[in-house]
Amino acid sequence: MRVVAVAVRASVVLVAVSIMVFAATELLPSDAAAVRAGGGATPDELARMRSEAGLDDPAAQRYLRWLAAMATGDTGTSLVSGRPVAALVEARAGATLALAGAALAVAVPLTALMAWAAGAAPRRVRAGAAGAVAGLAAVPQAAFAAGLVAVFSAALGWLPPVSLVAAGGSPLDRPETLVLPALALAVPAAAYGAGLLGGAVADALAAPHVADAVLRGVPRRRVAARHVLPFLLAPAVRVLATVAGSLLVATAVVETVFGYAGLGELLVSAVATRDVPVVQAVAMLSATVVVGGLAAADAAAALTDPRSGVPA
Amino acid sequence: MRAVFWPLAAAVVGIALFGGALAPHDPTSSIAGPWAAPGAASPLGTDSAGRDVLSRVLAGGRGPVLTAALAALCATAAGLWGGLVAGWRGGWPDRLLSGLADLLMGVPFLLVAMVLAVALPGPAAVAAATVCGGAPLTLRVVRDTVRRLRHSGFVEAARGRGERTGAILVREVLPSVAGIAGADLGLRFVAALQTAAAIGMLGLGAQPPAPDWGLMLRENLAGAALNPPSLVAPAAALTVTALVAAVLARRAADERSGRGAVGAW
Amino acid sequence: MTGAPEPLLRVRGMTVAARSGRPIVSGVDLDAHPGEAVALAGPSGCGKSTLLRAVLDALPPGLRRTAGTVTWAGEPVRPGGAARRWRRAHAGVLDQDPASAVNPLLTARAAVLEGRTRALGGRRAARGRALELLDALGLDAADVAGRRPHTLSGGQVQRVALARAILADPPLLVLDEPTSGLDAGALDLVAAEVRRRGAGGGATLLVSHDPDFVARVADRVVAVGARPPAPPRATRPAPGRGGPPVLNASGLRLSHPGRPVLEDVSLEVRAGELVAVTGPSGSGKSTLLRALAGLHPPDGGSVALRGRPLAATAEARERGQLRGVQFVAQDPAGALNPAHPVGAAVVRPLRVLRGVSAQRAREEARELLSRVGLDPALAGRRPRELSGGQRQRVAVARALAAGPDVLLADEITSALDADTADAVLALLEELCGNGLAVLLATHAPGAVARAHRVLRVREHGLPDAVPPHRTEHSHVG
Repeated sequence: MRVVAVAVRASVVLVAVSIMVFAATELLPSDAAAVRAGGGATPDELARMRSEAGLDDPAAQRYLRWLAAMATGDTGTSLVSGRPVAALVEARAGATLALAGAALAVAVPLTALMAWAAGAAPRRVRAGAAGAVAGLAAVPQAAFAAGLVAVFSAALGWLPPVSLVAAGGSPLDRPETLVLPALALAVPAAAYGAGLLGGAVADALAAPHVADAVLRGVPRRRVAARHVLPFLLAPAVRVLATVAGSLLVATAVVETVFGYAGLGELLVSAVATRDVPVVQAVAMLSATVVVGGLAAADAAAALTDPRSGVPA
Repeated sequence: MRAVFWPLAAAVVGIALFGGALAPHDPTSSIAGPWAAPGAASPLGTDSAGRDVLSRVLAGGRGPVLTAALAALCATAAGLWGGLVAGWRGGWPDRLLSGLADLLMGVPFLLVAMVLAVALPGPAAVAAATVCGGAPLTLRVVRDTVRRLRHSGFVEAARGRGERTGAILVREVLPSVAGIAGADLGLRFVAALQTAAAIGMLGLGAQPPAPDWGLMLRENLAGAALNPPSLVAPAAALTVTALVAAVLARRAADERSGRGAVGAW
Repeated sequence: MTGAPEPLLRVRGMTVAARSGRPIVSGVDLDAHPGEAVALAGPSGCGKSTLLRAVLDALPPGLRRTAGTVTWAGEPVRPGGAARRWRRAHAGVLDQDPASAVNPLLTARAAVLEGRTRALGGRRAARGRALELLDALGLDAADVAGRRPHTLSGGQVQRVALARAILADPPLLVLDEPTSGLDAGALDLVAAEVRRRGAGGGATLLVSHDPDFVARVADRVVAVGARPPAPPRATRPAPGRGGPPVLNASGLRLSHPGRPVLEDVSLEVRAGELVAVTGPSGSGKSTLLRALAGLHPPDGGSVALRGRPLAATAEARERGQLRGVQFVAQDPAGALNPAHPVGAAVVRPLRVLRGVSAQRAREEARELLSRVGLDPALAGRRPRELSGGQRQRVAVARALAAGPDVLLADEITSALDADTADAVLALLEELCGNGLAVLLATHAPGAVARAHRVLRVREHGLPDAVPPHRTEHSHVG
């Protein structure tokens, strides 16, 4: 039952995002007909093109048509390059996956470490660590990425400042180009995730049955293993999904900083050139992955909670 | 620590908002060749177009900081209003508003900001994304507090003397919620500044030659090796501003809640 | 040494201080001999629970043991890891709210087996013993063993916690306020267990504010705090004031969402009467008072003030009725708005309910403050600058400012220390003498003893059987 509820909620969120995406592109002063015709069309021609393309229909009708097209994978063609959007996305998806994967591999252990330090470490470590994690989470990602470039490539010269991927090549051909972008993605996301997880750790430690176990003299390690960690499983999965999602969206910033040809960079340049079909497709794809990930985490938490289900 | 913090915070806010007046040069015109190293005339050197980096840093905070402040105010006000209504009324308004907040919380709001930047000016996109992403968080905290206060002795005493709901909310509830909203305002500001920096860095906000910390990151990436201060200075300005706001928010939160320490376990 | 038998547990000079340096427990000595049940008694806030935790070396954060030794069977128990191992090996603990102290992810069987702190003849034997114990405590072990707390009733979980505490038959059983978190049936089981242990040579250490329960199980009572609790005074007869009741309720039905609390409650209060409402915690005393105050709309029944019906919610009552019935809540911390000076809290009802001018209201507020025994100069202070007792007096003054016929006081002494509580009760008595009717919800024996009349809110059967509670009139004395 709860899994169904999770799925329904995720669908509602996606519909809300799709409305936002559609509405944003609706606000543009020029529409697809004007863009395609360039400057050289008469008002009559424009009107004809609009009615042929259904651009005169009410907004709700156009939205539903657009949503149906998106859902069936018909994402149209780029207004700028004229190439099918699907092909553009496909060409970039691999690079972003490689980057996000590398960043996640760093972010997961880092999140756990920071959350432990800020939530459950010995008292003296805890206070300082909590402040440091909160501070790190406050640093704007763009500034953090710029700082990495300034230190590790400009000042120290250890790593390349840009991460150009050769045409037809893979970012994995030159793994050193992935280091800085992955760090720029992973550290802020991990600090953010650790803030969330640290709260869950504190809540788990504050549960009455933990105090009771301490009162009964249960050894620390056993308290942790039996009375605390099981309660962190669901929050940890949720935080993982949140970290992965924020990391994916943040690829836009990091890929732009490092000139890395991925989906994020594609989205940013499409926004800058008002390439509406590309914006719509990439935004909906990212939103689907992020919302789907959160929903999967919720569903996993619901399914594995022994308290759910019919009482025996 | 305390003695240093307040003057530092005041200086940061002052420079962010009014630093332009202190700029030694016109932030939009060239004074030397591109990427000139720091010297007597320009302590932080010049940028890609030979403009004085110090002047641009001094003048470049106003845009992102004002945008973030306005966005944070909108988000907190919306969350405060929603939280008051949901917490006080309970029942269906609570379910509606809390449900809406839960839905919005699942939306990746940097993505929203970028998509909105297609059609809206940068600051408006930042504000809209901050409201979508931040108001639900404020709403939740305020709602929970109001629900608790609704059963406190002083609110029940006010009900017991027949005060009107509006009077109770303003006189009895709002003063207690104000501190929470203040702490929340700081957190929303940090998130909005992060978004504003990203939007500027992506070239979707302020346009050249305007000075703007986010945009400066974009312009001066190429000069990281030639004149490092051109990149480090705006990054540091953004970081320090965000940290000051984060510390202020943390203090406000600590003062109000005094969140119980995790016991010995 | 001497010829006296060596106590099993010997505590000398136990001293506990708050982080601020304020002493909580000062130099307490305590012995428990084999087979003995020792009760720590004293008013709320006297530090008896803290003493218990200090003995176990499990003080909550913010409290520190500054002096004192604990000796177990002649061997000193050093604080820290050693004390942790000691209490695990030798002490069975039943904490204040045992139902919430059971890990919600564990089945009843696994929860009970957490009490296997010494070898009980192998895993299988331990499991057998756990099931036997559940059966012995009145649970259907075959049914309950595989279930988790959220599918069990509160009463069942209490028995699971009790089974865990006594599974290994520990030489020391520690009970912290068992009357606050256990239902009547579980309390009987605890009492029986304490008696059984007495015969077998096990010691029991008990903290309780309930003199009846202490008298029932304890062999010896150690008074904690500055002075022993005042002996309860005989209940005085109701004053001669006859006349019609000021406030009466009939057929009230009260519930929290999805849970009936009280059914068919009828009561009446006359002018000048101090009526105590007692009953176990959670039985609905507060809900009853809140319903009378118009803060908790009842499902049915009616309330009348001087014979005229009162609306179910405060918002729907007219001004005269609001003036007539005033409510003072339990928690002094939340009684006053931290944003306003305390004088403003007393001025407000004068202005709003009685239409007194601002100048006159300020003067009257100062008079009211001195009438409840406070320095009128406190009017300009903020609530956080006042002690709990002072805040509770301000709350009473605020209620009096309305000029009420009936004062509804909900556990207003429960968060106060003994002396302050006594003074607040004396104030209520004095007000009654001037013709005010007071309905006081309380579980403190000292407060009950001062009442002219006692209404008992009783529970019938176990919570899992969920028959609604019933109120009845009974005159004590």
